[in-house]
Amino acid sequence: MNGFGLAIGLATFLIIGLGFVWVIRGERYFGFLWWPYVMGLGVFVILGSLFFASDWLAALGGAIGASLVWGATELKEQAIRAELGWFPFKAKKIEPPFADKIRTWKAPHL
Amino acid sequence: MSLNLIALTAALSAFLGIWWGHVGVRVIERHSPRLWPAVLLTLLLGLALELWAATTDNKHIAVAAGIIGVTLLWDAFELVRQENRVKHGHAPANPDNPRHARILKAHSSATTLDLLDREPVGRRVNAEEAVRLVTTGEEAS
Repeated sequence: MNGFGLAIGLATFLIIGLGFVWVIRGERYFGFLWWPYVMGLGVFVILGSLFFASDWLAALGGAIGASLVWGATELKEQAIRAELGWFPFKAKKIEPPFADKIRTWKAPHL
Repeated sequence: MSLNLIALTAALSAFLGIWWGHVGVRVIERHSPRLWPAVLLTLLLGLALELWAATTDNKHIAVAAGIIGVTLLWDAFELVRQENRVKHGHAPANPDNPRHARILKAHSSATTLDLLDREPVGRRVNAEEAVRLVTTGEEAS
């Protein structure tokens, strides 16, 4: 019996669950235009996790980084859900640096 | 210093598990005439992977099976939630699927339109404009 995989699976379940919360809240207050920064942070966390000596930390870091990359691709649809009134909508957002440039890029969605 | 590739295994498993789950739930729910076989199969697959994670000595397999197993268990629950989204018009109904055809008849909120298939406009959108935006791409003046 090996509890490592089960524990990492359970932790990933919680990380994904938390992902739903930060995508909803993050989009409400900051807007979907932050997606390149969130995606970059996710990739950075994954790459950084490769340097952990501990398998536990490396696996958790990898799962957190992947969840950030996924969340970045979910922000645009969440913005539309809020516009439709399925979630609370806040018109005034805290925009990211280079927002006008990012606006010209097609936000990814899975 | 050597790289700890467990991080990459965990990241790929989590990303692919979430991605395929996300797409798979929508496709399977849209095309299945009956939902419960898909829910049951997804649950069993998820449990089988968790059992594999618990019994293997290979750490990479343990992490991949543990993570993908848990995403499958979540997907079983999401299949049911997706059907509710279709009832509320939050996901498009498939009129060629008899189960969805019944939903379209019973729930006035259900629609065949994917109301999320557009770019954000940065303001609240009412029901009429929501339809216009995904059918003609036209914004209210």
